[in-house]
Amino acid sequence: MIDVLSSAGPNGARPGGTWDWLPEQAATPSESDLARARSEAEGLLADHGVTYGAAAEHEPWRLDPAPVVIDEDEWSRLEAGIAQRAELLDAVLQDLYGPRRLLADSLLPPTAAVAHPGFLRTVDGLRLPGGRELVLTATDLARDDDGTWLALADRTQAPSGAGYAMEGRRVVAQVLEGVYRQTPIQRLGPFFRALRQTLHDVAPPSAPQPRIALLTPGPGSETAFDQAYLASMLGLPLVEGSDLVVRDGRLWVRGLGGTEPVDVLLRRVDAAWCDPLDLRAGSRLGVPGLVRAVRAGNLSVVNPLGSGVLENPAVIAALPRLARTVLDQDLLLPSAPTWWCGEPSSASYVLEHLAELVLVPLSREDHGVLGWTLDATQRDELATRISAEPWRWAGQARVGGGALLDVAGDDGTGPGEQDRSGSGVGVLRTFAVAHRGAYTVMAGGLARVADGPVVSSRTGAVAKDVWVLAGASEPAAEPADAGGEAPVARRTGVGISSRTAENLFWLGRYAERAEDQARDLRVVVDRWDDFHGRPRSAGGRALAVLVGALVDPDAPADAAHAPTLRELALDRSRPESIAASIAGLGNAAAAVRDQLSTDTFGPLARIDRALRAERARQRVPEQGLDLGRFDDARAATAGLRPVLDRTLEGLLAVAGIVAEGLVRDVGWHLLDAGRRLERAQHVVAALRRTLVDPLPRTVEAHVVDSVVLAHDSAITFRRRYPEDAGVTAVLDLLLLDDANPRSLAFQIERLRRDLSGVPMRSRPTDERDRLLAQLGDLVVELDPAAASARDTDGRRVRLAETLDSMHWRLLAVADEIEKVHFARPVTARALDDPWDAGDEEVAP
Amino acid sequence: MSRTYDLVHRTTYTYPQEVTDSYGRTVMTPRDLPGQTVLTSAVEIDPAPADSAVQHDYFGNRTTYYCVTEPHTRLVVTARSTIEITRVRPDPASLPTVAWDETATSVQTGSAAAAMSPDALVVLREMVLPSAHVTFVDEVRQWAAPSFAPGRPLGDVVVDLCHRIRHELTYRTGSTTVSTTQRQLLAQRTGVCQDFAHLMIAALRLHGVPARYVSGYLETLPPPGREKLRGADASHAWVSVWIPGAGWVDADPTNDQLVDDRYVVLGWGRDYHDVPPLRGVIFTEGSGSKLSVQVDLVPSGSPAFA
Repeated sequence: MIDVLSSAGPNGARPGGTWDWLPEQAATPSESDLARARSEAEGLLADHGVTYGAAAEHEPWRLDPAPVVIDEDEWSRLEAGIAQRAELLDAVLQDLYGPRRLLADSLLPPTAAVAHPGFLRTVDGLRLPGGRELVLTATDLARDDDGTWLALADRTQAPSGAGYAMEGRRVVAQVLEGVYRQTPIQRLGPFFRALRQTLHDVAPPSAPQPRIALLTPGPGSETAFDQAYLASMLGLPLVEGSDLVVRDGRLWVRGLGGTEPVDVLLRRVDAAWCDPLDLRAGSRLGVPGLVRAVRAGNLSVVNPLGSGVLENPAVIAALPRLARTVLDQDLLLPSAPTWWCGEPSSASYVLEHLAELVLVPLSREDHGVLGWTLDATQRDELATRISAEPWRWAGQARVGGGALLDVAGDDGTGPGEQDRSGSGVGVLRTFAVAHRGAYTVMAGGLARVADGPVVSSRTGAVAKDVWVLAGASEPAAEPADAGGEAPVARRTGVGISSRTAENLFWLGRYAERAEDQARDLRVVVDRWDDFHGRPRSAGGRALAVLVGALVDPDAPADAAHAPTLRELALDRSRPESIAASIAGLGNAAAAVRDQLSTDTFGPLARIDRALRAERARQRVPEQGLDLGRFDDARAATAGLRPVLDRTLEGLLAVAGIVAEGLVRDVGWHLLDAGRRLERAQHVVAALRRTLVDPLPRTVEAHVVDSVVLAHDSAITFRRRYPEDAGVTAVLDLLLLDDANPRSLAFQIERLRRDLSGVPMRSRPTDERDRLLAQLGDLVVELDPAAASARDTDGRRVRLAETLDSMHWRLLAVADEIEKVHFARPVTARALDDPWDAGDEEVAP
Repeated sequence: MSRTYDLVHRTTYTYPQEVTDSYGRTVMTPRDLPGQTVLTSAVEIDPAPADSAVQHDYFGNRTTYYCVTEPHTRLVVTARSTIEITRVRPDPASLPTVAWDETATSVQTGSAAAAMSPDALVVLREMVLPSAHVTFVDEVRQWAAPSFAPGRPLGDVVVDLCHRIRHELTYRTGSTTVSTTQRQLLAQRTGVCQDFAHLMIAALRLHGVPARYVSGYLETLPPPGREKLRGADASHAWVSVWIPGAGWVDADPTNDQLVDDRYVVLGWGRDYHDVPPLRGVIFTEGSGSKLSVQVDLVPSGSPAFA
């Protein structure tokens, strides 16, 4: 990939891609160093779960570790230009929702604002405390042919990418450690500290200790990683619209034990979707009454609702004269030449030069077009559209060798067309945040490069870290924060939303479910290789029992195709498979990424890779589970053992991180409760499926061995009980022994402890507690010797009855937990429109 | 000469299942205007809202926000006002003779607003753009064309559009919904007052003439010899057109007349979407609702209907 963004080297040559800025040339990485760094970076990004794209198609984030390098002089000029631009845009935003004095054809044409869908009349006149309206802004820059930086577009709605930039820095610092350490690089930290402080500063005056949250569209958002990463960097809870409610003119988050106020919302939801009452009807991403809370002065939203109006090519076209009028300065950072068609002379220029220009819509709700990719007919069609509604279009000059369209890469519109003929192009996204009266510019940013003319993460652009070289005067250590940290105040209270709590609970359940499945399957795989060829031997008959126990006998049978062992491990479409549980685990983890250590995602990524790699291998033929029927039955288990081992290792790592790394708060207790409940259900089901039906003694001995092994209790079993210990001992160890972390008694006690500290919503917990008490009684009253006695027909009827009643009570406990703690908010819908309720015509 | 009216506008929603939370916003309080003075006004909501707030919106209309948090199966929103109207119907013949195309040019170049405040230009520019219910489709263009002969005085155009809508389209309650498009309207040639207002607005804006949507009421008179039924009045909608020299002139295409002292203005916006009398979000597991609206606009002092 050609580096078209770095500063020119000492010889004046661009593109960069050289390492001549390195203080010690000996440290210059070789091609093989870089190749290694690339593959390490790929691994780290996968381990950290860094993705891009909507939920169903999360793509790995692509990063080229060779940094874009910008020297200090060039950066300080750029920084001044970015800060000036932010200040100017802020002034325009204040005016647009205030006096509207700048709206004049000679300055900022009125239509450019009022025709823009981002101009939200509902929020007219609202003000953010702190003196700035534009808190966070991003600008996409490219170099033209002689290396001059030109701004292509501003991101003022809810700029994304700062999280990716920080993650990129961390990865590159690791994989190019040698180079990184000897290069004086300006740090990204001050930007994030400034953001954090500003979020405090803009809080309503009534909230001296503001509670701040990040509003996300949810894990399905394209930049979900960026949002969650930013939230955890800033220490903010990630909330969705459905977590929130407006009451008494204030915004509240629905917590486990009740509601807690929110004073500041850093939003990643486009403004129009933030309030289904006062903004876009039907939006499920927002909360009704949000605008009311802002207007009442009880809530500050960042960026303020309505800031999207600045994502506007007509504003870009007007910036030079706005700078002179508003700031009495010349614009320091020029934009790509832009002609807004709402001005008649610009419209005729654009129509004459359609084939050379990028056609940029007034708002990102429409698609941009690369003029030179159109044939004559398409150009005519476009010209007609532009002539009909000229204010909806602008033309922008191609910048740099490749020319660029809108750098989508947000949750915004992607390019309509693509042209692969261009050479490499790159776009640098810079970030600025309002901070104590000025703007703090991130020293670096998010660079993205692509082969085509379209630089978009959606179409596979590759990210790069941006190194701004620090001068000799620059202190090596992080510069101290001028304003000082915001006072540390430890917040008491619940702090997590009901939705987060539910995801943590399911995180625990899926982690345990996957572990149980993997253990069961591993035991079967081991036995399989010994006994599949001898179905009539004791071991073979035991194997049949174990195989049968892998699936729920009560589940609707898939007569056409009983699952193979491979499918039970790898086939995500089967809910009883390990892969499905891992997918559920991954989704739950992604939804609460802000609650978890980054380390959690490494093991998950490795499990996923192991499953995926094995799935990709063709091990034909797919065999059914009928024993001893096929020629090469080993194919049924080939490759599974290592995958199961990887899976268990990963799950144990996750369990370790959870056990040692998470604070014992409500969230942890719910996570643990999920694990305990799942394990309790599993042990009861496993015993029910293996020990009840009649079996010859010798077969049962094999089954008993496997069961205790699958429940990780083999060592204790052997040490504690005599050689010929049978079902009685199993029941003692796996049901009654409250010192065995695999036993039912243990799970019930933990479940009770975990849940006792979890606040409930409004319902009483009586039923839940009664069920748990009954389960405890069932365990205590169980006499293992009596329960293991067989009936005349050889079945253990008493055991079956006990296990059945345990089983349904555990299901009922799960239901009660859902009801008591995670009561879903009732669905919202729009009131029927009184459009035509008795309209009347008068008699003529 | 003035008329004083008592106005009651009651909207009742009945739900098949309990509604736990109800958020809403009303535009049901008349504006104070030249020719229209609001003597008293109040919006009552039952069950009583836990939170409510009154504000003026971007267009200067008075709106009321409410949030009901008491579970309920019936919501009643009642607006009561007493208004004094001194408005005189303009004589179409006395309107300035400025041509529609001249008007369009002056709005486009900005000279139109030279004599007014700079903010006025923003408003004029806003009111020549398409909006949620006002679309620049070919069907509207073709329908409108005969009324826009070059050089025709704008006052004539307005009178002509009102007349044509009254005679070319049929009024029928229930013939359209909030999502009916202008294309569909012109295909079926049947609609209600909002549709007629939107059609006229689109015709004017397509030709560069500023036009806005007005929400309000019209006093209805009973058939001769009958007594007026209580609660039988209705919300109404019409058009306000900007005529250089005369300012905003209100015209009612549904009834083919300029607006007089039997009309009460609630508020205006780009179209219905900016000023529905009531919109809301409810939280309920149930679906559907029954809606009834009663409006009473009667000379002040008549027995109240509720």
